Amino acid sequence: MADVSLRGVSKAFGDTQAVDELTLSIKDGEFVVLLGPTGAGKTTTLRLIAGLERPDSGSIVIDGRDVTKLEPASRDVAFVFQQYSLYPHLTVAENLAFPLRSPARKLTEDEINSRVADVAKLVRIDHKLENKSTKLSGGEMQRVAIGRALVRKPVIYLMDEPLSSLDAKLRGDLRLELKRIQAELFSTMLYVTHDQIEAMTMADRIGILAEGRLVQIGTPKEIYTEPANLHVAARLGQPAINLLPADLLPETAAPAGTRTIGARTEHLTIRKAANSHADGTVDWVEHLGDQNHLHVTVGNRKLVTLTDPDTLFERGDRVTVRLRSPLYFDGAGKRIAG
Amino acid sequence: MQDVSSGKPVVTDTTSSILDRAAEAAARATPVTLAKRVRGISDRTVAWLFIAPTIVLLLAINIFPLIWAIQLSFTNYRANRPNEPIKNIGLSNYSRILTDTDTWIAMQATAHFVFWTILLQTVIGFALAYLIDRKFRGHAFWTTIILVPMMLSPAVVGNFWRFLYEPQIGLFAYIVSFFTGIPPTEILMLSSVTLAPWAIIIVDTWMWTPYVMLICLAGLRSIPDYIYEAAEVDRASNWRQFWSITLPMALPFIMLAVLFRGIENFKMFDMVNLLTGGGPGSTTEVASITLKREAFEKWRTGFSSAFAIILFVAVFGLANIYVKVLNRVKSR
Repeated sequence: MADVSLRGVSKAFGDTQAVDELTLSIKDGEFVVLLGPTGAGKTTTLRLIAGLERPDSGSIVIDGRDVTKLEPASRDVAFVFQQYSLYPHLTVAENLAFPLRSPARKLTEDEINSRVADVAKLVRIDHKLENKSTKLSGGEMQRVAIGRALVRKPVIYLMDEPLSSLDAKLRGDLRLELKRIQAELFSTMLYVTHDQIEAMTMADRIGILAEGRLVQIGTPKEIYTEPANLHVAARLGQPAINLLPADLLPETAAPAGTRTIGARTEHLTIRKAANSHADGTVDWVEHLGDQNHLHVTVGNRKLVTLTDPDTLFERGDRVTVRLRSPLYFDGAGKRIAG
Repeated sequence: MQDVSSGKPVVTDTTSSILDRAAEAAARATPVTLAKRVRGISDRTVAWLFIAPTIVLLLAINIFPLIWAIQLSFTNYRANRPNEPIKNIGLSNYSRILTDTDTWIAMQATAHFVFWTILLQTVIGFALAYLIDRKFRGHAFWTTIILVPMMLSPAVVGNFWRFLYEPQIGLFAYIVSFFTGIPPTEILMLSSVTLAPWAIIIVDTWMWTPYVMLICLAGLRSIPDYIYEAAEVDRASNWRQFWSITLPMALPFIMLAVLFRGIENFKMFDMVNLLTGGGPGSTTEVASITLKREAFEKWRTGFSSAFAIILFVAVFGLANIYVKVLNRVKSR
C-alpha cells in the first residue's frame, strides 16, 4: 500500500478532452470515491492510473515512483472492471489464483491455495470455488472479480463502477461488504461511481468530477454541506437540491451578490397557512412508504422536499415556505455563503 | 322501410323486401362460411402448408436418390447396360469394397490429404487471424487480399495451378529452383509419385486457409478487450495471455473450422481431378475420384453406390462424434 498521486494529468480521445489537468492525491489506506455523470472522465482516470491508457501530459506517481511510462504489469495495481471480466473457461478458484501465478511473484502452490481460500471467504464465494465462472450469477461473478483484485496486495485497488450492473438489493449488500473489506485490510482504494449513495456511504473522501476536471474533493460531509458550486450541490441529496431564484421567497437574509438559493429538505420549513399568508400550494404528495416526497409550487417554481410518512399535507393545501440557512450561490454558480 | 307514397302495390313491396333480405342474408352467409373455413385451419396445418414445398423438394432431390442408391448398392446394376436384368447380390458389393486393397489405398490417400490440409490450414489460418487481429494499419486491406483465393472457383484454381506447377514454364518450379538450386525440370510437382500428394495439399491450403482464418478471426474478435486488460493488470505475460485466454476462448471456433474443412476435403473432387486426375498411378486418387472412376468410367453403378454409402456413413458418423466433442468444449 502506498500514496498515489496524479499531477496535472490530461488525456484526450480525438476531440474529446476526457481528463483535463487533473491533480489528485490519495493517501495510504484511504478510500476515495470519484463521483460524476457519464463522460466526466472517471473511468479514464482509473485507466490512466492502471496504465491501460497513457496520459498526453502530466505525471502519475505511485509510492514516490514516477510510473507514467510504465506498463500496467509493472505498476502493481489491481483493477475491477464494470463488466464481469472473469476468465470464462476457468473455475472460481483458478480465476482467483490467476494473478498469483504470475512468474513475477514466486509463490508456492500452498501459499497460493491458502491465499485463494482466505479471499474466497472474504468475498463469500468459498462454497463455489470449483464452479466454472460462467455458471455463476451476476453478483457472484462480481464478487469473484473483486476477490481476484483482493488476492494480491497491490499498492492501490482501482474499481470502475463494480456494482452498477447488479440489482438494488445485491448492490446494497456488496456496498457494505466492500467497505468492511477495505476497513479490514486497510487498503488504498479509488472507486468510481455515478451513484451518490455509494459515494456517501463508502468514501473517506469524495472527488466530484465534471468534464474531466476535479471540481471539489473533500469528506462526504464537506461535499454535502459545503459544495463549492451549483454542480456539486446538484450531485448530492435525495430528492435533489431545489435551486431557486434569490427573490422567490420573502424573509431571506441573502448576502449581496446572491443569484441562486439552494434549498434541501433540511433548509425548508413548510407549514399550512391561511390563504392570505400563503406562499405556495401543495401540488402532489408522493408516497414512498418510509417517507413522502412533497411537491410544492411557489410562484412559477416547483420544490421537492421530504416529509414524514404520516404527513397531514394534502394536494391543494396552501402553505408557507420558509428557509433555514440555505446555500447561497453567485451569478457564476459559486457558493458564497450558507 | 318501403316508400308507401311511391304508389307501388304493397304486396310487391313486401315480396321484394323478402327477396332483398334473402339475398342480403345469402351475401352475408358466403363470407361467413369462407372465413369460418379459413379460420378452421389449425396453425399446425398452416405450418405444414408452408413447409410442404421444401419437403417435397428435399424428398425429390435428396432423399429419393439416397434411397435409390442404397437399393442399387445391393445389386449388380450397370447404368450403361440398362437392358440387362438387375440381379440382387446382397452385401457382396460391400464386402468387396472393404476387402479390396485399391479402395483402402484410396482411403489412405484421402486420409493423408485431409490430415495435412487441415493441419496446415488450421495452423496458418489461425496465425494469420492472430496477426490480422492486431489491427495494424491497413489490416482491412490485407484481410481482403488474403481472402481472394477463397473467392475463386475451384475449376479456375485447378487450371492455373497446373500452369504454375508446369516444370518448363511454371512459376512455382522457377521459384523453388531459384531458392534451392534444383533444376526446374526436376521439380515435377504433378507427375512425381512423391510430390503429387503434396502438390494437391499446397493448392488446397492456398485456397482454403483464408476460410479458416476468417472463422478464427471471428473467434478472436469475440474475446472482449477487458479480459485482456484484466490479464495485463494481473501481470500475465503475452505468452500466458495467449495460452490461458486467446486459445481456449477461440478453440470452439477453430474446431468448427476444422469440421467444415474436414467434411469438405473428405469429398474433395473438382480441384484434384483437374490437377492430377488421381495420378500419377493412383497416388492422389482420393475417395471421390475412385468413386467417379468406378461409376462413370467402369460403369459399375451398383458397386460405386455401395462405395458412396460407405463414405457417407463414415463422414456422417465422424462428423457426429466431432460435433459432440465440440459441444462439450463449448459448454466448458
